[in-house]
Amino acid sequence: MAYSDKVLDHYNNPRNVGSLDKGAANVGTGIVGAPECGDVMKLQVRVNDATGIIEEAKFKTFGCGSAIASSSLATEWLKGKTVDEALAIKNTDIVNELSLPPVKIHCSVLAEDAIKAAITDYKTKQGAAQPAAEALKA
Amino acid sequence: MNRDYFSFFGIEPQLALDPISLQQRFYELSRQWHPDRFARRPASEQMEALDNTALLNDAFRTLKDPVERAEYVLSRYGRGLEDGAGKQVPPDLLEEVFEMNMALDELKEGDASARPQLESARANFTALLSEIDADLERQFLRWDSVKNAETLSAVRTLLNKRKYIVNLVNTATLALGN
Repeated sequence: MAYSDKVLDHYNNPRNVGSLDKGAANVGTGIVGAPECGDVMKLQVRVNDATGIIEEAKFKTFGCGSAIASSSLATEWLKGKTVDEALAIKNTDIVNELSLPPVKIHCSVLAEDAIKAAITDYKTKQGAAQPAAEALKA
Repeated sequence: MNRDYFSFFGIEPQLALDPISLQQRFYELSRQWHPDRFARRPASEQMEALDNTALLNDAFRTLKDPVERAEYVLSRYGRGLEDGAGKQVPPDLLEEVFEMNMALDELKEGDASARPQLESARANFTALLSEIDADLERQFLRWDSVKNAETLSAVRTLLNKRKYIVNLVNTATLALGN
């Protein structure tokens, strides 16, 4: 199966590989797995608390070229977006950008799931942090 | 060829069967269908003895092993339950699986400091296998008494998870070289 040039580019030069401090309150972490192929993907975002803008995004994916390219592209798109804009990223956007063939669409779904999981984790942390801050004031 | 293994052994379909009585029954049936006993019989009976001996061996091999037996029961009674083929990442294990993959990568790149991490991951997953086997045993007993779809589905989930973890343990062992 032939990979598109964009997939190959992301696969050979993946952007934003790495990890962020999972324990930090402004870092959201999403780890997701694909039942179809056993791929595992971790995606993290660091959000500026004041602006709600994603300042940093990192990923590490164990899987095929399309899964790596999908998550690499996702981290590129995430930077500079607000949390809510990030949630609006659809797997079909990734499919179109990377020209993924039908058999690799699940890789883009995985990336979308990873974004949602990371944002959810961030929001959960924020929700948990606020009452604690209130408690400190009291 | 489609004859049910359980009925061939003269027992009810069951998941938690007693290996000793299964083996005794296997010996009885082996004697009963031994081709030597049919040497002077008509060709059709000789063929039947051969077929039954082959069937007996397949049936025994399948039924004596708990996992094979469960897969067999699922293939006959668990239509529509998906065989994960060892590829479904159990959702509750995602983080540990990810960490183990990291350690595997580091070791592959020559970072020996990843060894202890990989060893402990393997130990954890091996311990988890024992837990899954105990869970399976419970579900086996349950299915034998209630024979419902819900229990078969639980068995399917456990078997998928088991397969996935067996693969992980094997991968770790291969990388560790012992």
